[in-house]
Amino acid sequence: MTRITLGSAVLRGTVATALMASLMSTSALGAPPVDLSKWSPEYVRSIAGTQDFDTAADCAKVTPLDYKGRLTFWYQGVFEGDPDLLRQYYKDFFATFRKTYPNIQLEEQALTYNDLLDKFRTALLGNAAPMAVRLQILGGTEFASKGYLQPLKPEDVGYSTEDYWPGAMKAVTWEGVSYGIPTNNETMAFIWNADIFKRAGLDPDKAPATWDDVIKYSKQIHDKLGIAGYGLVARKNAGNTPYRFMPQLWAYGGGVFDEATANPTYEQVNLDSPQSKAALQASYDMYVRDKSVPVSALTNQQADNQPLFLAGQLGMMISHPSDYDVMLDLQKKATGADKDKAQTVIDNMRYGLIPTGPDGKRAVVFGGSNIHILKPEYVEGGKVDEPAAKAIICMWTSPEWSLKMAYAGSNPGNLNGFKTKWMKERLDNIKFLDVTTSMLPYGIPFPALPQAPEIMNIIVPDMLQNALTGAMTVDEAADDAAKRVRDLMGGL
Amino acid sequence: MTIVTGKAEARRRLQSGRPGVLRQIWEHRADYAYVLPAIAVMLIVIAYPIYYTIELSFFKTPPGLQLRDKTFIGLDNYTTILTSEVFWRVTWNTLIWTLGSTLIAFVLGFATALALHREFVGRGVLRAILIIPWVISAVAASYIWKWIYHSDFGIIGAVLVGLGLADRPPNFIDSVNTVLPSLIVVNIWREFPFAMIMMMAGLQTVPEQLLRAAQVDGASAWQRFWHVTFPHLRNVSTVTILLLAVANFNSFIIPWIMTGGGPSNASHIWITHIYELAFGRQRWGVASAYSVLLFLTLMTLGYFYVRALSGNERQEGSA
Repeated sequence: MTRITLGSAVLRGTVATALMASLMSTSALGAPPVDLSKWSPEYVRSIAGTQDFDTAADCAKVTPLDYKGRLTFWYQGVFEGDPDLLRQYYKDFFATFRKTYPNIQLEEQALTYNDLLDKFRTALLGNAAPMAVRLQILGGTEFASKGYLQPLKPEDVGYSTEDYWPGAMKAVTWEGVSYGIPTNNETMAFIWNADIFKRAGLDPDKAPATWDDVIKYSKQIHDKLGIAGYGLVARKNAGNTPYRFMPQLWAYGGGVFDEATANPTYEQVNLDSPQSKAALQASYDMYVRDKSVPVSALTNQQADNQPLFLAGQLGMMISHPSDYDVMLDLQKKATGADKDKAQTVIDNMRYGLIPTGPDGKRAVVFGGSNIHILKPEYVEGGKVDEPAAKAIICMWTSPEWSLKMAYAGSNPGNLNGFKTKWMKERLDNIKFLDVTTSMLPYGIPFPALPQAPEIMNIIVPDMLQNALTGAMTVDEAADDAAKRVRDLMGGL
Repeated sequence: MTIVTGKAEARRRLQSGRPGVLRQIWEHRADYAYVLPAIAVMLIVIAYPIYYTIELSFFKTPPGLQLRDKTFIGLDNYTTILTSEVFWRVTWNTLIWTLGSTLIAFVLGFATALALHREFVGRGVLRAILIIPWVISAVAASYIWKWIYHSDFGIIGAVLVGLGLADRPPNFIDSVNTVLPSLIVVNIWREFPFAMIMMMAGLQTVPEQLLRAAQVDGASAWQRFWHVTFPHLRNVSTVTILLLAVANFNSFIIPWIMTGGGPSNASHIWITHIYELAFGRQRWGVASAYSVLLFLTLMTLGYFYVRALSGNERQEGSA
């Protein structure tokens, strides 16, 4: 299997200095455990396996291991699109926690990405929330701004703020106070099927360099082979949609606000800017003009694209490095000729950097999750067992577990995770991991605003759907979305 | 010793007025005790939420604030809803969804019931098969139909393309024009067995001797149906239609799972729109006002349902 040209990827990484500055800009900038300015696949390899950590001993300093208590805990867990490997790590984590803290009665509940926010909001209204919660990166500021969360910073569980990506710390900070700790941070990559590229007359080992190339490649694949070129996703209320559209929006120079700049102020709405409209037009061209993407994009999410890709019916898509493992899992479940067909697709899987916009701008969503402690008045029973909550937070955000819980699909929230022996093992075992770690410097966090979930989960997908269904023109859809964001920010 | 006649007792009760009511309650205290737990539960899980929803509908609940920070705005939420273009679009969808699903499911169920009312080999098996859509979980059915309709790899599309009847799979649920009719078909598929069962039960009550007498008098099959069978089924038909209408107004699972109200809000009906306003966008006040409107609509339907049931009872009593 051909490796992607990582050398050029690293060179291009220098273009991302401004974005890197965005990720690094924080008032509490100190000396992180890794040198973010040297970030490259080679650097990541060079630090992997260089330090040992004793999680139990570290967490014992926060909460004694014989502490007796009770903890209710909700978390965004694994879902149908995740590989079996990750499921096993989740099981291992809770088993290890129970073994490490045998006297803490843990009542955990896993919820999927798309259900967690709704359920958590409802529980808060009834003062029936759990004591601690692990939320998607998008949710932190919403609940912090409303006063539901307790101030919580890495120092409270034995770590340092500098141990975490500065961009990730921004997502848990509201009005200068930190209300959570990042558990994992992720940037996705661009995946394609080399065999499909070859049969469509494209260079099988070269990812499309720009989004305009994606449109061309998608059309060429569709016209020549009669299958979908690019795996567009535009479902509403599904996290997959903003994770795939925002990189495109930012690459064209657009944005919801100015979140792609080094020091965003979120004051000016830019969804109706010419650059944002150009990005929307690109999706329109693929869906409506060229019909080169799945028609089902409006009701699909990424989990629906995975089997299509494995079946050789989809040429390229944005996704996690874990998709390689997901494909292996799916292939194991296939039978007869399907099994061989799936193997062919796996052999032809290639990973590359997400394409740039017309001006060479490359961007990806700086995603992930954070962990928080609730205020007692919103918790069932009116009490929060803080030592128990800190025990699980210390363990999850430790170098060891923040790495293991992100083993296949993401990256450790705690930067020390990159130094562990498990990172070294991971670099050897997880194919294409280099590509997603290379994308990290291009990561742009969602706007750290309480309104961000509604903007990303409802307004942006609505904009896409309005344009792609013809319910509105591209201009109208962008203008409508911009107006809705302005109304939302104005308190309507 | 005084002998009190029934009439005298009734007169005494009428004259005594209120104390008679209290006495009646006392005499039936055991009955009240039996239903008290159910009433208590209803008060907690139904009456209080209804009260709270009505109260909340008069408040502004900005999404950036906690619910306790709400501000009283009188009828503004109702004005906002009734003057919004989205409300009327969603109301139109709701009417199409409810009327389309209810009437077609009823007609189909009735026709099936008539067909199955005759004796033929395999009737029992057919009845059992036809009930399957109704007993299947709505969630499972929604996912299955989503794949049947899938715009790229759906079974229907594959068959049509395979038979050369279409160049590419038809777009059922990813088009603003076809999504609602496609969802209504799924809903009808799920609901018509209910109408069938109700009408089959009703058909058992049609007196056989009347049908025979009509036949002897030379009435055609249609005349027998129209003049004998159908009048006997009027009340059960009314009840069935009302129950279906109430269920459809409240129907959430199929549209939410299959499309989430999309694409471009083309399949949003009241209940899914209320859910999105409340839980997705946290407009609790507006969502509550919406819910009150839905509640009033359902109560109106409920009133007619009770009236239809009372009509049934009166008819049975006089029979």
